[in-house]
Amino acid sequence: MTLVYVEHQDGAPEDVSLQALALARDLAGGEAVQALVAGPSAADAAAALGEHGVTTVHVPDHEVFASHAPAALGRALTQLAARLGSGAVLAAGTERGNEVMAHAAAIADLPLAANCTEVTAGDPLTVTRIRWGGSLLEEARVHGGTKLLTVAPHTVEASASGGSPAAVEPFTPELSDADTAVRVVGRVGTRSEGGVTLADAKFVVSCGRGVGSPDGFAPAEELAALLGGAVGCSRAVTIAGWRPHTDQVGQTGTKIAPEVYLACGISGATQHMAGCKGAKRIIAVNTDPEAPIISHAAYAVIGDLHEVIPAITAELRKAGAG
Amino acid sequence: MNILVCVKRVPMTGGTIVLTPDEQAIETRHLGFTISPHEECGVEEAVRLIEAQGGESAVLSLGPADAEEQLRDAMALGIDRAVLLQTDEEFDGQSTASAILASIEADRASGVEYDLIFFGNESADAGNYQVGIRVAHALGRPCVTGVKGIAVENGRARCEQEVPGGRDVYDVPLPAVVTVKEGLNLPRYPSVPGRLRAKRKPLETRTPERGAPGVEKIRLKLPEGDASQAEILGHGPAAAPAVVDVLRRAGLVA
Amino acid sequence: MGAGLFARRARMLVRIMRLGRPAERFDDIPQRVRQEAVVAIGQKKILQRLGPGVMHALIFWGFIVLFPTIVMAMIGAVDKGATLPWLGHQGWFAFLVDLFAVLVLASVCAAFYIRKVVRPARFEGSHLGEADLILLWIAGIVTTLLLWHATRIALGINEWPASWSPAANALSNLFGTGQPTETLERVFVWAHVLLILSFLAYLPYSKHLHIITAVINVFFGRTTPRGRLEPLVFDDPDVPEDEIRMGAGTLTDMTWKQMMDTVTCTECGRCQEVCPAWNTGKALSPKLLIMGLRDHMLEQGPKLLAGDEEAAAAPLVPDAVTDEVVWDCVTCGACVRECPVSIEHIDHIVDLRRHLVMAEARFPAEADPMMRDIERSSNPWGKAQQDRAEWAEGLGVRVLEPGEPAPEVLYWVGCAASFDERARQTAVSTAKLLQAAGVDFAILGPRESCTGDPARRMGNEYVFQAFAAENVETLNDAGVTKIVASCPHCFNTLANEYPDFGGRYEVMHHTELLAELVRDGRLAATAGSEEITYHDSCYLARHNDVIADPRALVEAVGKPVEMANHGKRTFCCGAGGAHMWMEERGKPINEERVRQAAETGAKTLAVACPFCTVMLDDGVRTSGSDLRVADVATLLAESLDEPADPPA
Repeated sequence: MTLVYVEHQDGAPEDVSLQALALARDLAGGEAVQALVAGPSAADAAAALGEHGVTTVHVPDHEVFASHAPAALGRALTQLAARLGSGAVLAAGTERGNEVMAHAAAIADLPLAANCTEVTAGDPLTVTRIRWGGSLLEEARVHGGTKLLTVAPHTVEASASGGSPAAVEPFTPELSDADTAVRVVGRVGTRSEGGVTLADAKFVVSCGRGVGSPDGFAPAEELAALLGGAVGCSRAVTIAGWRPHTDQVGQTGTKIAPEVYLACGISGATQHMAGCKGAKRIIAVNTDPEAPIISHAAYAVIGDLHEVIPAITAELRKAGAG
Repeated sequence: MNILVCVKRVPMTGGTIVLTPDEQAIETRHLGFTISPHEECGVEEAVRLIEAQGGESAVLSLGPADAEEQLRDAMALGIDRAVLLQTDEEFDGQSTASAILASIEADRASGVEYDLIFFGNESADAGNYQVGIRVAHALGRPCVTGVKGIAVENGRARCEQEVPGGRDVYDVPLPAVVTVKEGLNLPRYPSVPGRLRAKRKPLETRTPERGAPGVEKIRLKLPEGDASQAEILGHGPAAAPAVVDVLRRAGLVA
Repeated sequence: MGAGLFARRARMLVRIMRLGRPAERFDDIPQRVRQEAVVAIGQKKILQRLGPGVMHALIFWGFIVLFPTIVMAMIGAVDKGATLPWLGHQGWFAFLVDLFAVLVLASVCAAFYIRKVVRPARFEGSHLGEADLILLWIAGIVTTLLLWHATRIALGINEWPASWSPAANALSNLFGTGQPTETLERVFVWAHVLLILSFLAYLPYSKHLHIITAVINVFFGRTTPRGRLEPLVFDDPDVPEDEIRMGAGTLTDMTWKQMMDTVTCTECGRCQEVCPAWNTGKALSPKLLIMGLRDHMLEQGPKLLAGDEEAAAAPLVPDAVTDEVVWDCVTCGACVRECPVSIEHIDHIVDLRRHLVMAEARFPAEADPMMRDIERSSNPWGKAQQDRAEWAEGLGVRVLEPGEPAPEVLYWVGCAASFDERARQTAVSTAKLLQAAGVDFAILGPRESCTGDPARRMGNEYVFQAFAAENVETLNDAGVTKIVASCPHCFNTLANEYPDFGGRYEVMHHTELLAELVRDGRLAATAGSEEITYHDSCYLARHNDVIADPRALVEAVGKPVEMANHGKRTFCCGAGGAHMWMEERGKPINEERVRQAAETGAKTLAVACPFCTVMLDDGVRTSGSDLRVADVATLLAESLDEPADPPA
């Protein structure tokens, strides 16, 4: 039996958890896959999870789960896995998935392999996992009675198997005061008004001087807003006074580390690249196929930013984002 | 207040990563080394807290003899003393936590009890996401992870963790373990008097014990795909669907 | 009394300067005597500006000539019938006095014309009223002298033949032989003497003190290479850790020479006029910097001597000069070259930076990554060292491995030409040219590190010295004797600064070596018809006199046209002094330089420095110019590739 910790938003399972489920089903090789889902509206996830092959959704019953409580989740997960005799426990390799699984691993004193991209069943289990934020992979053997893994987001495709809604089984974990001490007690807004900061954004779209004017940033603003990202710019733009220096991506500006960096009309000067080397993926949009940025980017679009940015926005709207 | 910061010596990659012939490590012959970025913020936060509230700070690293460089760097910023758990072997998350725990217990035996222990949320190289949490459980202390804001007052730590749309707030009693993320603060640049003082500050070397690895490395490998060549997604607006596909794969679009 | 007042003030100044740190300025005496003869007596540097130069030189030489007349007047004031033995009777001397008195008067008029009519911007911020007063004083001194001589001639009591002093002789016609003239003769001589004595008393309170201090300052001016900074010593076992000098934080951290600099400043503003920072609206004026330090010294110095602890702790930054001023400097050296009295502005700036960076870790935040990257990655952009030789892939360039025999020439590529896409072209071109000429060369590849120049110019002497030690060890272990460098900053550091750390090599810039290869016929370039304007790098032309060789290369490939500011008068690209990694406020220096280049009408802007390449290419982009920025090495390589000039 394989157990998966599923994250959800108001009863809708997170895509990354469904990806973890897909890997769990592979690993289970036909055995049952069950899930632990916590928090209000956890039971609402049963139907969707059933479609992804979950037979039973276990919902821990305790007031602490009204908000995120990682240590208590780790405890509940450990107790459930022990009771069910799970051979493997998985979660998505998100901040919270990794956190909850680390608590479980600590409580059970078991090894934990974080951010796996591939798993081969067996004992020990063989995994491929991400190191260096994705720049490097490690093949490793995972020992221990119950195998604890998290699945690197977006490395496995989620796949619906079309099962019937999962059964919902509440259970009451035994939690100590220490387990419940760590919980979210409030929420404050981000420091920057009206959106994420450039340094923290998961998506950044930057434009070079080619935008032509301060107003030329409007399409980029729209695209960033659609994806909950931020707008950056090159040094030439701040020199021209079109955007504040805080918006400048570069060694002497802001260092960014987004999942995707869309660099439009940016040549890729050394000082600029020093500011965006933390980006996981760079998509360069440039009319010049020889621009230095192309050699640093994972993807390139050869074209004019004035046409390409609105086209991406339109495509996203078509896909139902925003 | 006593604060311990745990740091790891990691190479500065930033270019093409090259592996050693046995595929067990990164070729670091020409690379510089640093403290993992998250942990640098931990060092800075510890120094600020001690400056503001008094007490003593220590820095600990598990790694090769050369990790003294990183410990001295931390002391140059104002950390008072250092402990090096010296080993040339790579420890997995579990054995790293045990080794650190043993060291903390040794400190306790000599009368030093830490009110606050900082870890990085995850190390830059191994990315295990677990050492701080394991140490916290072994010590029976609360642990808040991914912290980007902390205020210590009246024996409690109010921690902020960044989540989509804002920051979640945790409030835990001390002693506690906190794993921090880059962005918590802007680490100061070391002054030369600081560097000179750091040379004289106490550094204790201990020998950690490495248990059988629970996650046992077989080999390292580089991700597929030629990183030096960009994949052309298309020309002009026609490339938009391909761009959206990349955004989707990056988890930015549902 | 005048002399007494002068002595009291002078003693105070000397006492303040004795609080200063030591400076090694008693060596190299023959060179010092030479600079005294050329710069002080010969007025060489002041004559760099012809009009004001001649004016000043005449007043200066006039005062030397007139000096004995002070004694004569004093004698004459006491005893109407006496004068200096022998000299007082010489017609030729009387002629010189007469001539220079008139020339000085004319020069004073010229000075007033410059100050009141021309009103050059360089005087902005100077004490103009004080200067006017001094000019009037000088005019008064020579006028009373002439009038005294005239009355003596009129009275027939002149000890020298009247015909030798035509001006005084002519003026004597104004006076009769009677009692009024007798009285006037007394009035003029006493007026003359009193003006001189009061001038002497006023002197040390004014910028005119320079007539004494300049003579001293020029003598003690630096005799070491212009591009070299004075090293600090961190590991002297005799100096306790908390007494290690880390640049200049307070008055007593300044060297006596630096203090002397401040009281030598004449406020002429020549430095300000050529300063690229001032010219693009920044806060820095080298003149105001020195004046600020002087005012601080004159305010705090006496308190300090009185034991005031608060004065001892008064920080130079921001009390004397603001942080902004300190960081605006590009260390281009235009001010130092221009200064007629051997003030060493760069050394002041660097010492102020040293204190801010090393003692206080206080510097523009945007430079923080560069400083960390140099230390951690051995290059200022944090690139991976193992990629350092990536530019040379497929070129067949030898990478010198440990233990291998040293090549004839080591090619020191530098970080910019190794890592920056635009600057890399220079490295590729240089390597191809050296190969074409059959030069036995190699590169260090990943074993080459930043020379430490940006850290040093930022004031981070500690980090610089670590890199100097490491690089010198690498070079010495490899048995390197001759180095060619692409980057003028590396070139300057290797040639002028590494000797202080045990690294002595024959260092050439690539333009020097390439010019030599062209001269020797080992590279056959074909001159095209394209107009090319060459931008001198500050660290080549001004700091190291490399001016002719890059021009020879430009001439070998095209038609050179000069910008107004060229050679030693070049205008910085804006990147020097670690400004490559700082954000510029106000009008960008690089755009100003691109504008100057575009004015020549040339289509190609030739450069010889990777920083200039990047800065000016950026300037071309942001200012919408159509100039092509290319290193002379690249132009030369292209000319070899395409021997025939394409038809225009």
